[in-house]
Amino acid sequence: MTSSTPTAPSPSPAAAAAPTTTTTTTAAAAAAAPPTTSTPSKPSKQQQSQKPKPASKSKDAAAGGSGASPATADGATAQLTPAELKKRAKAEKAARRARERAERDSGAAPGPAGGASATGSASTKKDGGSAAGSTGGGGSRGLPRRGSAQNTSQNGGSGSVSGGAGGAAAGMDKSAGGAEAKNKKTDDKNVAVFGHLYGQQRRTTIAGAGKEVHPAVLALGLQMRDYVVCGSSARCVATLLVFKRVIDAYTTPMGTSLPRHLTTHLSHQITYLSTCRPLSISQGNAIRALKLAISSIDPSTPEAEAKAFLGEFIDSFIREKITVADQVIAGSAAQKIQDGDVIVTFAGSSIVKQTLLLAHKQGKKFRVSIIDSRPLFEGKSLARTLANAGLDVQYSLIHGISHAIKAASKVFLGAHAMTSNGRLYSRVGTALVAMSAKERAGGVEVPVIVCCETVKFTDRVALDSIVVNEIADADELISAEPMQQLTDLPDPAAATVSPADAKKGAKSAAAAAAAAANAAAESNTVAQNVSSPLTGWKESANLQLLNIMYDVTPAEYVDMVVTEMGSLPPSAVPIVHRMSTNL
Amino acid sequence: MPSTSGPLTPGLASFLKTLKTNPIDTSIDNLISLLKRRQIRHSRSCATATAYLLRSVISASRTNDANKLIERVQYVGRRLMAAQPREMVVGNIVRRVLGLIRDEAEDDREGDFNLSEAGSESQPQTPRGLDDPTDALSARHEGSDRGASRNPLPALTAAPISMFSLLSHPEPENSLPGTPVSASPSGRWLGFGHGPSKDIRAEVLDGIGEIIDELGQVDDQIAAYALDHIHSNEIILTHTSSTTVQKFLLKAAAKRKFTVIHAESYPNNHEATHATVSGANPHDDELLSTESFQKPLIALGITVILIPDSAVFALMSRVNKVILGTHSVLANGGLVAAAGTRVIARAAKVHQTPVVVVSGVYKLSPVYPFDFDSLIEYGDASKVISYEDGDLVDQIDVQNPLYDYVPAELIDLYITNLGGHAPSYLYRIVSDHYRKEDISV
Repeated sequence: MTSSTPTAPSPSPAAAAAPTTTTTTTAAAAAAAPPTTSTPSKPSKQQQSQKPKPASKSKDAAAGGSGASPATADGATAQLTPAELKKRAKAEKAARRARERAERDSGAAPGPAGGASATGSASTKKDGGSAAGSTGGGGSRGLPRRGSAQNTSQNGGSGSVSGGAGGAAAGMDKSAGGAEAKNKKTDDKNVAVFGHLYGQQRRTTIAGAGKEVHPAVLALGLQMRDYVVCGSSARCVATLLVFKRVIDAYTTPMGTSLPRHLTTHLSHQITYLSTCRPLSISQGNAIRALKLAISSIDPSTPEAEAKAFLGEFIDSFIREKITVADQVIAGSAAQKIQDGDVIVTFAGSSIVKQTLLLAHKQGKKFRVSIIDSRPLFEGKSLARTLANAGLDVQYSLIHGISHAIKAASKVFLGAHAMTSNGRLYSRVGTALVAMSAKERAGGVEVPVIVCCETVKFTDRVALDSIVVNEIADADELISAEPMQQLTDLPDPAAATVSPADAKKGAKSAAAAAAAAANAAAESNTVAQNVSSPLTGWKESANLQLLNIMYDVTPAEYVDMVVTEMGSLPPSAVPIVHRMSTNL
Repeated sequence: MPSTSGPLTPGLASFLKTLKTNPIDTSIDNLISLLKRRQIRHSRSCATATAYLLRSVISASRTNDANKLIERVQYVGRRLMAAQPREMVVGNIVRRVLGLIRDEAEDDREGDFNLSEAGSESQPQTPRGLDDPTDALSARHEGSDRGASRNPLPALTAAPISMFSLLSHPEPENSLPGTPVSASPSGRWLGFGHGPSKDIRAEVLDGIGEIIDELGQVDDQIAAYALDHIHSNEIILTHTSSTTVQKFLLKAAAKRKFTVIHAESYPNNHEATHATVSGANPHDDELLSTESFQKPLIALGITVILIPDSAVFALMSRVNKVILGTHSVLANGGLVAAAGTRVIARAAKVHQTPVVVVSGVYKLSPVYPFDFDSLIEYGDASKVISYEDGDLVDQIDVQNPLYDYVPAELIDLYITNLGGHAPSYLYRIVSDHYRKEDISV
């Protein structure tokens, strides 16, 4: 689907050059990632302001926690189950450790320190408990997705300070809520039918990640969580490139061999990545291939040689399965476009983008109608790219499908995966577009063409969109609309508060905390003024929000799957999958 | 009616308020501009405004002739409909008022024949009697009786007239049989120029009062059928913040437990939907004030799942029934509803899920659609891409359709205030409610 990263396989003519360029770009992205995810500006000052705060906050929270037990009920201490106690103890321990780390890192490079301070606030959030953590997290998580510009500003001084303070304030407010209430509430907020899909919450910080996890992987995890790296192919490429760095940095421990140990080392990275966002099918396939390659290495090969082999393997995998495959697909799909066509596409698929751009470059005259959906609005960047390239673009949201499809002559769709029963597993809403194309009242059916690399084929089968799916954070649905950012002027005000607050922080931690709490309260009220009526949805009983990521399009809606191995009917998916995995 | 204090934004409430004080022509122009500027936009608000306006028009018109009344209403109606041709309810209400006037005029004429000629021969009645049997007559009398007893209620301008009609009504009935003065057919209109046509006006006003009452009660009447259609533990999918649907579901929720999946209808109605779902007060003063105090479904223990529109297909396999509100219903059984409805109805059809449309009869329009595109209105494109992305808006064509045409074959059942109907039966209700000569006003 979309690739908002620079990892988007660039259609460079020299296929061999492509992987290297992508390598450098992602390397740059990964290198740039830690600053964007942590705080870039005036790190030292902030550190000082933040450092005392986690301490005071965790103390507050601890006090709140201990104060909570008498507050919750007269016999609430007895009500706490051993599991709850254990959880609390663990959270406190994590907080302490994070604080220690923050202190230890204070003299070190600004990047990790920023990260550590973030972890500090996060851990306090965690034991601050209940909705506090989630609202704070929602606040800091909601925005970065929208673009890199907001990303940096949000993660700049004001954002992180107010976020942390918000966590603290909310923690103080809500600590009385207790942990049981939280559990009950989250249960209540899970849509029953999708109960099996609510695993643990997506990781919000890099806190608590194992020490084995490579920093580049840490960064990638957060980028994937924030949809900075989004789209099946982009995630796959990014993962492979990051793993290449991991392998480069890897040294075989004493007493074991690379083929034996590297797999377990990688699986730490994989576990971390999957806690940030469930792995895509393509990622899974790529990882499987990589592991196969690792295990095929003779244990007696020298380490340097083995690493070179693996690097080569990753490069050629990306080249063959994605970069060149995309070029082949774009080439053959572009042939399907004729002059005068009206192409309807849904959301933002990178391969469809490539196809359309190629067809445009070939001088074909056609119109593109992009249908987009909440909450990711992936089609917007596609629309921008196509419009910049000079295509005639029409844009509407999912409510306008039946209008957009009226004029359509072809539908091009991207894929997250193709299942073995020929169904298309793609961004939620794809099925509606395909269905509309097939069931146009009184008209000729519009051909539906899916562009999909074979690396996205899977041997899994799916009948409906419920058994297999991915649940995203429901708070994404209530994130403020872009329009509200215009009115959200108090943000700079909060930014002006924060330096003052930092100065105070130098004086006394308590005053700083109070000021921060005030600032947070201010920003909270402002947020409530402009925000939608759903802001408090977690508090209202029986109300559930569902934000699923994918849906399954029946095979009969798909006329053709364009792959690098040719154009196939959807029924050919399992055969191609077998062929490509047996090779 | 709603009396909101404080400064009024132009809308239904302000219109109704000024209707009493402004001269009638000002009110007409006022409503026309409100319709044109889309400051009145919900179906029911449009219908209510039209009905009130026509009541004032009729009570303000000094003419006593039924034909003149018809002309006047037609003139006003044409202007209103031209102001906003896609608000079909305006035309519906105009047609119903015209029908009322015609009915009253014909009643009167028949009454004349009956009274003056003592039923000697009934030739003039036969064409009429064919398509409108006596039950219509009796209903009319019943209506007028009820109207007479309620007459003091609309105490503005109608009061003196209705008082007069109270007194004058029995008078010709009692005195006429004895007087052979008006036996000549030519003298009939001259002779009864005053008495009966005064009656016409009063009765038309009563009839409009009934239409207004109907507009007020229609949601509750529809909701009364709720228990016939919703069973326990059902999963119901709905769309937009339609109050008719909400009341329908609320009524059922009082007795039964079920689950509602609510698609948010993103760019045009999502805020109202969110407010409906969460029970927050909508800041939309076009909704009548009583509705904003309505409890949300979640307060009755109904689980409400809010989903983005894109997830409809994914969830449809779990849905037992789709209940939709609508903007207007066409005579062929198709409907014009909020954008996104069609794709939901399609998805339901694909999954063999029944689609139920709840709608008041006042939304039922005698229009047969031929050019579907002309029914569709396009809205503010900045709701799709805000003007912050100005560079993007410049380059691409952003579309924000407000309505969808949903063909009749996607609908399984209509529930109106008269009961449940198959889409194929709607033409019959159309012919019950509108007279042929009014279909093109």
